[in-house]
Amino acid sequence: MKEVLAVIRMEMINKTKEALLAEGFTSLNCRKVLGRGKKKVDVAIIESIVNGVEISSPVVAQALSEVHRLVPKRLLSLIVKDDEVKKVIDTIIEVNSKGKAGDGKIFVMPVGDVVRVRTGETGELAI
Amino acid sequence: MLLIRAIIRPEKMGVVLSELCDAGFPAVTKMDVMGRGKQRGVKVGEVFYDEIPKEMLMMVVKDEEKDDVIKLIVKNAKTGEKGAFGDGKIFVSPVEEAYTISSGENGL
Repeated sequence: MKEVLAVIRMEMINKTKEALLAEGFTSLNCRKVLGRGKKKVDVAIIESIVNGVEISSPVVAQALSEVHRLVPKRLLSLIVKDDEVKKVIDTIIEVNSKGKAGDGKIFVMPVGDVVRVRTGETGELAI
Repeated sequence: MLLIRAIIRPEKMGVVLSELCDAGFPAVTKMDVMGRGKQRGVKVGEVFYDEIPKEMLMMVVKDEEKDDVIKLIVKNAKTGEKGAFGDGKIFVSPVEEAYTISSGENGL
């Protein structure tokens, strides 16, 4: 079993969820996070977007107010069987890839064990 | 590659982030979390708080960079010289693969 952690753009979450559902990956966890990557964030661009569309989202405001500019992102976490990892990664890359910096990252990590709380099943049965 | 998850005081996040950036580790993800540690929370007067707000820092680094990153976080997230209860914890777990979505490339 593997855990697939993907950091993606905020606005791509619905498309990604749909694509994963179409591939048969129904269960996932997702939360809002702030982050930065290798490249410096162009503050002027973000500010122009924020001013232009007049979004007063607290998340955007918070990210802009910090000294080191952190961009709001979505962190997606799926736990899948070993042979399904490739399919998940391909699906996420296909949907999210715009070819620009900031599209996100995917990490694959080993999972020791899984337990279903309802029945107490363990291992691959519990996924 | 290793995933470093550090749970630190929210007020220390600014220093840690800027020091990491200066040391050449710009890529991080952070999130707000709530938790308690071995001290089972904090007691302020009569009230016992068993969920204390903290911030979690996540970063994936190369194996050889692990020690530098951990040293940096420990140095900057400490309270005072000796440190204090509630300064946080750092967990390291293995990462098998990493992909950049924009190019589909394998690797950090």
